[in-house]
Amino acid sequence: MLADDLLEDARHLAAKGDEENRKSCMRRAVSTAYYAVFHLLIEDFVEHWEFEDQRARLARMFNHQKMKDAPFRPKDKNNPTVVEVALTDVITAFGQLQGDRHRADYDLGWNIVRTDVNDAITLAEATFQKWRSIRGEEVARNHLLSMFGAKIDRVPDA
Amino acid sequence: MYLPSAVTKQSEIEAAIQQVAHALAPDVVRIRYDIGEDWSGQWAIFFKVVLSDDAAKRRLRDVATKVVWGLAGQLDFPSMGVSPYHNFRSVSEQAALQEPAWA
Repeated sequence: MLADDLLEDARHLAAKGDEENRKSCMRRAVSTAYYAVFHLLIEDFVEHWEFEDQRARLARMFNHQKMKDAPFRPKDKNNPTVVEVALTDVITAFGQLQGDRHRADYDLGWNIVRTDVNDAITLAEATFQKWRSIRGEEVARNHLLSMFGAKIDRVPDA
Repeated sequence: MYLPSAVTKQSEIEAAIQQVAHALAPDVVRIRYDIGEDWSGQWAIFFKVVLSDDAAKRRLRDVATKVVWGLAGQLDFPSMGVSPYHNFRSVSEQAALQEPAWA
């Protein structure tokens, strides 16, 4: 999958940036870690589209900001389920990595350090693991649909 | 001009920060924050977390996760009108950079 390749690329860039203290590689590592997670989610969504020749077009409909802003709250915020906790982690990580990606690509004033890069890589790795553990759950699938831009079904009052 | 309610809750934020930093010491050395707009123009709170060198090198993911959950457990970011962002650096990295926002 492209997402796995991107995560591996991010690790290579991080190692090169570390070895050579090369800031451009460190920035590309952070940016690539975000894109790895971005494609992880998109690939998961489009692989369920029956018409394989249309999947690339469908993937291009995803919008970075809509994905970040997709709303989610556990049903009982004081007592979230294990799946809801994992999904919250994925959502938080996605927003964090997206913000870091913007800094890495556009903020020339950012004094990027090794910890920034390690944080992005390990966060992306953890997000891969968490998403793959919950991707079949209804709450996760519904959130992926929200990330695509679908409105949330209102839960009728009891 | 719209301002998020987080702006008026600085003492609550400070208290949460102190509690999380205390609970995670000595891995967490200090936490600073500021409120502003993120890349998309939405209000955000940016936490700057200084970690011990050992924590940054050996336990980064574990400690970072605890910081994120610790702060989220005490501060209701959606109702404060902000999205949280957390960035980390080690004591040594900050000593080399000497950035006032992290001091």
